[in-house]
Formats: sequence, structure tokens, C-alpha cells
Amino acid sequence: MNPESAILRTLPLDDAALAAGMRAAQSGDPHAYAALLEGITPWLRRYIRKQRRFLQAADVEDLVQDVLLSLHAVRRTYDPGRPFLPWLFAIVHHRLADAARRHASRSAGEASPEALEATDSGLHVTSLDGGTNMEESAVGDPRALQQAIQALPAGQRAAIHLLKLKEMSLKEAARELGTSVGALKVAAHRGMASLRRALARKAVKE
Amino acid sequence: MSTVDTRQLIEQLAGEAAPVGRLPSPWVRTGFWLALAAVNLLVFVLVMLPRRDLSAAVSDPRFVIEQFAALATGVTAGLAAFASVVPGFNRRALLLPLLPLAVWLGSVGTGCATSWIRFGPAGLTVTPDWACVPAIALIGLAPAVTMAFMLRRGAPLTPHTTAALGGLAAAGLGSFGLRLCHAEDASVMVLIWQVGSVALLTATAAVAGRWLLGWRLLTRHGR
Repeated sequence: MNPESAILRTLPLDDAALAAGMRAAQSGDPHAYAALLEGITPWLRRYIRKQRRFLQAADVEDLVQDVLLSLHAVRRTYDPGRPFLPWLFAIVHHRLADAARRHASRSAGEASPEALEATDSGLHVTSLDGGTNMEESAVGDPRALQQAIQALPAGQRAAIHLLKLKEMSLKEAARELGTSVGALKVAAHRGMASLRRALARKAVKE
Repeated sequence: MSTVDTRQLIEQLAGEAAPVGRLPSPWVRTGFWLALAAVNLLVFVLVMLPRRDLSAAVSDPRFVIEQFAALATGVTAGLAAFASVVPGFNRRALLLPLLPLAVWLGSVGTGCATSWIRFGPAGLTVTPDWACVPAIALIGLAPAVTMAFMLRRGAPLTPHTTAALGGLAAAGLGSFGLRLCHAEDASVMVLIWQVGSVALLTATAAVAGRWLLGWRLLTRHGR
């Protein structure tokens, strides 16, 4: 038995019920879909926490949401004739590996992993993952970004404000806020991640 | 991010759960892709005209083995590419093209060795035949574009591998088609120009994988 099937066997999840839920979700049933996602989320959270013991709760939650968004994006690839859990597990496994790679390349190119930039066409949130992977979400509506920034916790908001909008150096901003450079980096990174997600959610809504 | 946000996200995703067309199985998709590729190949062979010595060539076992292996490489690479975008599909399917590929390379390699033994270094003379790269790319272009569109409907679990397999599928068929029209059977020439072109196109596709396939294209939140 390979390790994957060993994990699948110990899951407190009923594959047949989940498969039925996913079939209904593919047919456009919002209640079945919500029930399915709510059913797997606690397991996902536990599983990711176990796999990534060094992560803080907020980062675990980021990964949970990453998996949910990914699952949603590829829900058409589920074949109702096959079991659900191996399908889910493959997505989880790959998304965790992607996150680990992202983390590794981000640590390698720590200098300026993210940038927030104002241009004529609006504001851009850019993430540079060690130079190998660049992606950008453009926000046509600067108000949406303002709102997203306002919704951030105070520490993250201040970090974003000073570092990204006022373009202060880490040292200057840390002095201004009376915090350490390390703590500031973490706050800025968290803030950028929250912004990206908030804007993505808005994009999904539209 | 908190659990409250996750609950909101679930509500939002459920709220926009429009019915989706299920992706057919990789077998069905491979069949569909092959049907289109076969029509494309037929058009090319008719336009470029089959080589005059085709009837003589098909009596050469080496030609037949290599053509069969190139075709089988294209078909199995296509199947593997479509399987690679379905979460939970048996990953062993990705190894499928290795067998026909080994037969193909083995036959071409044996041919090179035989020429060396028989004619010495003169048997391995390489003359420029640059037309092979664009010819294979051109014959494989429509299947490659179709493949790219079809692969983007799946899950980009392994973008580079998936794109490489897609490239190998299209280039394998391209090489098969080219050899029906282009009378060049010296093993070393086939190795350098045809197998080399296939390798080049496959590598290019692998590199392009990140732009062709990626979660950021699907979820719009990037990463």
C-alpha cells in the first residue's frame, strides 16, 4: 500500500457522500457544494497543520483557502465515476508542494518579494518569487484596493503604508513603527498576501 | 487569514457554483485530439506529396519500426498529457511514452552504429537539413495549439511535465508525418535532424509550461 492510500483510508470522510456532493456541485447545486466544502475544510486544516508544523495558524488558513480556490477552479476535472478523495488529495498535495517551492524561492530572493505600484491604469500588486515566477493582479478600481488596505489589521496596514506606498526602507519604517525589521517583514508579507486574496475574491465575485 | 474568512470564501464559491461541463476522460480526449491531428496530417501529406520511394521505404523494417514508434510516442505522450491534468489519475500513465520512445531511439541508434561499422566515419556524415525543425513544427502546429487549449481546461498540477508531454505528442506526430514526405533515412540524419527537432520542440514546450498552464490563470489570485 502506498502512503497516499494509507492516508486516504484513515480519513474520517465518507468518499461516497463527498462524491455525491461533488456531482451535485458540478450540476450547479450551491447547497450541496457549500456542504461539501464545509465538510472537507476541518480535515484540510488538520491535515495541512500536521504536514506543515512550523506554520502559524494564519498561514495554514492561507493554504486551506488556496486549496479551496484551486478545487473550485478545476471542479470540472472531477470524474463522478471515480472516488473523490484521491482527486482532492492530488490537488492538496500539489498545492502544498507549490507553496513550499514559493516559500523557498521567496526566502532565496528576500530583497523585494513584492511591490505595490501605482500606474495610469490603476494599482498593481506584484509578487516576484525569486525572479522565476511573476504574477500580477491589476486592480482597475483603486477604491477596491483602498478598502482592502483599510480592512487589514493595524500592524499590517501600517507596514504596507510605509513600505509600499511611502516607499520607506525597512530600517526607516521599523524605526517609525518602533518594531524590528524582522517583525515588519512578516507584517508586510502577511499584509500583501491578505491584499492579494481580498482582490482575488473581488475578481471572483465580478 | 482567519477561519471566518474561510467560511466567507466557501459561501462565495458556493454562491457562484454555476453548472460546469465535466471534462471527458483522458482516453476520450486523446481520441478526439488524434482525430483532429489525423486530418491535419492527411492535409499536410497531400499538400507536400508523399515521397516517391514510399512503397520501397515501407518494405524496410527499420523505417516501419521507426515510423510506428514515432506515431506511438505521439499517441502515448498525448494520453499522458491529458492524464496529467486530471487530479488523482494514475501518475504511472506519465511513463507511457517512454517505451515507444526507447524503441524509436534504439532503432535510430542501432542504425547509426550499423553505418559506423559498415562505412566507418563516412557513414556518419551529417549534412545540414535545417528544414526539419520548421517542417516538424509546422506539421505539429495545429495539433500543438489544439493540445494547449485542451490542456488548459484541466488542472495544472505539473505544468512543465504536462507541456513537455504535449509538445512531445505534437512533435512525434510531426516527425511521423515528415518522414512520409521527406526521403531521408540515413540514421545519423534522422537522429540529428528529426529526433533532434522533436527534442528541441519538447524542451521548448516544457519551458513554456509555466506560461501556458498555471493556477494563476485559473484562480486569478495568482501563485
